[in-house]
Amino acid sequence: MSSIRQAKHQRIPAFLRSWGGVFGAGWLIFMFLASITARWWRPYDVAEQDLIARLQGPSSEYWLGTDAVGRDLFSRVFTAGALPLQASAVMVLVAFGIGLPLILIAAERGGRVEEAIGRFAETIMSLPSTVILLAAIGAIGNRIYPVMMIFGLLVSAALYRILIGVAKSSRQHLYIDAARVDGMGSIRVNLAHVLPSMARPIAVQAAIVYAIGLLIINGLAFLGFGPGEPQPSWGFMIKDASDNIFNSPWMMVPPGVALSLTVMAANALADALAGPLGIPEYTPPKRRRTISASPAQQSEGTDNLALSVRDLSVVVEGGPTLVSGISFDLRQGEVMGLVGESGCGKTMTARSLLGLLPAGVEVSSGSIIWQGRQIAGLPERDAIKIRGREIAMISQEPMVALDPLFSVKSQLTRPLRRFRGVGRREARRIALELLRQVGIVDAERVLRCYPHQLSGGMAQRVAIALALTGSPKLLIADEPTTALDVTVQAEILSLLRALVAETGMSVLLVSHDLGVVADICDRIAVMYSGQVVEAGTVAEVLEDPYHPYTMALLGANPHVADDAPEPERLAAISGSVPPPGNWPEGCRFADRCQFAASECSVAFEPEPAHVDGMSLCIRTGELRRTGAQWAPEHRGAELAVESEAP
Amino acid sequence: MPLYIAKRLAIGVGTIWAAFTLTFLLVHSTDNSPGAVRLGMGATPEEVEVENERLGWNRPLLTQYADDLGKMVRLDFGQSLINRGDVRDQLSDRLPVTASISVLATLLAGIVGTALGVVAAVRGRGTAKAVNAFSGFSLSIPSFWLGVVLVYFFAIRLDLLPATGYSRFSEGVGSWLQSLALPVITLAIGGAAVVARMAASGMREALAREYITTLRAIGTPEWRIRYIHALRAASLPVVGALGVQFIVLFGGSVIIENLFALPGIGQAALFGATGNDFPILIGVVVMSTAVVVITNLVLDLLTAVLDPKLRTR
Ligand code: SF4
Repeated sequence: MSSIRQAKHQRIPAFLRSWGGVFGAGWLIFMFLASITARWWRPYDVAEQDLIARLQGPSSEYWLGTDAVGRDLFSRVFTAGALPLQASAVMVLVAFGIGLPLILIAAERGGRVEEAIGRFAETIMSLPSTVILLAAIGAIGNRIYPVMMIFGLLVSAALYRILIGVAKSSRQHLYIDAARVDGMGSIRVNLAHVLPSMARPIAVQAAIVYAIGLLIINGLAFLGFGPGEPQPSWGFMIKDASDNIFNSPWMMVPPGVALSLTVMAANALADALAGPLGIPEYTPPKRRRTISASPAQQSEGTDNLALSVRDLSVVVEGGPTLVSGISFDLRQGEVMGLVGESGCGKTMTARSLLGLLPAGVEVSSGSIIWQGRQIAGLPERDAIKIRGREIAMISQEPMVALDPLFSVKSQLTRPLRRFRGVGRREARRIALELLRQVGIVDAERVLRCYPHQLSGGMAQRVAIALALTGSPKLLIADEPTTALDVTVQAEILSLLRALVAETGMSVLLVSHDLGVVADICDRIAVMYSGQVVEAGTVAEVLEDPYHPYTMALLGANPHVADDAPEPERLAAISGSVPPPGNWPEGCRFADRCQFAASECSVAFEPEPAHVDGMSLCIRTGELRRTGAQWAPEHRGAELAVESEAP
Repeated sequence: MPLYIAKRLAIGVGTIWAAFTLTFLLVHSTDNSPGAVRLGMGATPEEVEVENERLGWNRPLLTQYADDLGKMVRLDFGQSLINRGDVRDQLSDRLPVTASISVLATLLAGIVGTALGVVAAVRGRGTAKAVNAFSGFSLSIPSFWLGVVLVYFFAIRLDLLPATGYSRFSEGVGSWLQSLALPVITLAIGGAAVVARMAASGMREALAREYITTLRAIGTPEWRIRYIHALRAASLPVVGALGVQFIVLFGGSVIIENLFALPGIGQAALFGATGNDFPILIGVVVMSTAVVVITNLVLDLLTAVLDPKLRTR
């Protein structure tokens, strides 16, 4: 949409701003004009024979050579363009003339009508069209326009199949702004709203179908069903060339190149009209650049620390910083919550531990000491050995976290065999055991299931079992319950708690839900704008917050200590998280903070807080002395807070 | 699964019926008549009328339709108006030629196209652009011209492969494959272009899925992520595309049989169209449609094998 608007602004259609678009439109217009005017400027008549100059290559007299009876190929090639260029256009009109009404009707009516039209279209689409066209020629004679109209009928079915989805989704958008179409008749709605919103896909398909039409017309001409001698056609000229291939191979060049270029022009136009595909480019992990992080700082007391993150920064390559100066520690068997609003860098922090940052995002400095080893910016071949075996992860959307094409059994036994070096049978036995361990009663049945047969809670249990296949010592749980029903959330949380008790692993729980964190975490790190703003034990931080942001989160949430999880526990705080690249000097929370003062706008160091925690607020001491309280705000004003930023 | 197969089967039967009906209507919409075709130019209008009567052409249209439809179900298309031979016998010799060309071309297009698409998807921007340019190019080259070019280079200049003619499968697999090599390659290049684009976007889409992250997070080797998980996901749209490609390549085969002098169904269609041989035309259309329908059913089955959502329904 934005490109269209932009295009209007610049008065050049978007598709003409690419080489393909310029070539496509330019060549088609040139060929069309050249061929319909050819009779006035061509050097020879198409039927004019020069029996002395037969089968010649290019010369000053005959620019593109001559054919077997000495006719000028240059004149013939350019004259031949007119018929296919026009007949194919007629075919496109017929195809859309039949197809579009059917598409609009099916999209409007839906249900039975759509199903019936869809069936019919599918039937027509599977017809071998070339054979049908030959039969049509056999029946009604070699009449190009009627035959191409029949082809248009066959093509309309394919158009239906391709465009029905577009039509339906554009109608859905209409429902959203129903006001605009209120009281309009069905035909007016279609003409004024549905069709215009489908303009781009229609234009793309028209260009593609036009190219196919050119190929079919010339294919039939190749078989002898063209305009008939001495009228030239590219198809029959190619046939002629193939008959003379021993004597004059050159003959195949002019008609072949002319036809190919014209078809190519239509296809290039289609590509240009379509614009870039919206599929993300894939970057293989090996190609990702890793910046060597600062060496491990051994001096600190890393006695029973499982994980120690120091001054970690994550940046978009050549772009803004996403996370800066993150530090936290995690002991073996401890559960730590990383909380904050969406877009504050929780997920990036968590993923950097596994070296699984999105393409173009990287750790730029700092260290991640895992079991005494520096793992920040580890090359892929070393990082892959840690994943699953030492650190595992479960993600937010269990329904899309499992490969839909593989059974639970195969998804579990594969890594089990790799991690534990066991055979098929043993892997199956362990898989069953793991499924029971994550609280699945009918493990045998679930093992045979495919992901689409599982409920959300069940899928999350399987995902947890999958994460346990390598017996990791640290589990990163990225919003593990957000997508689930309230009752299922509680079950998954108690499962996590049980697993920690049973296996002694540590958990890093990423959540925007203070209730969930209060429920199962030992320690907490509150994040804001890519920084940890407060850290400490859960009891200390949630009962006696030091940092105004934590106060704000808790302030509007009096029931945090409640056991039953609520879907929305994070307070609505007016204002929003400043986006990466737009962070203010000094405190990043300043423009939302009730206690902001002039000293907050200069850079400062974190203050020690709680027993061994910290608070990133320059006024910490002062606020505690005065016993400042965050004044509750109206809730509901800031629902946009939860829209996940990338 | 049985429901899915039944549905596909019903659509297949519907397609054959539609093909028959469409051709029947076309044949009956002309002012030409089988009597005139059969007796040729020299016959008087009276003789033509008698012949038409004998052939049952003057009966009510619906009666003829019901009669012909009944015969078609028994694969009885009557006699050719030109050479008087049985249509079914004539076509059943030719069908395997066209079918083998289009099946082999579809297979080749599927393999080459998938390989190109996968490379384009995993090898970074430069390769992707090159593959995309190649497919844009191949898509636009008409097969009947490409065939001439290939004949010139491979048969005439290099003398590697026979330019024209057909060697039966029973005469030896080697010479059979040789005689089909050029037509199959000619057709497969365009098909490979389509498949390559489909496979590339399918792979890219699959690799951007959340479950790929899950697989990474348990240390799954990169080759397994690409060639087992992503490729399997991409194979679904590719198999879908192959169904359409088979229809396109079947049509292409009908045209280039003429170029390579192969005794396929396309040549029969060509003679039938030139000579207004109605029974041949109907036979060609129905039998071609049947081949297309059967191939698509096989591909539907393959889709069901690949996609548990269809299989477990
Ligand atoms: S530093 Fe200032 S603005 Fe920031 S949280 Fe503390 S009081 Fe508020």
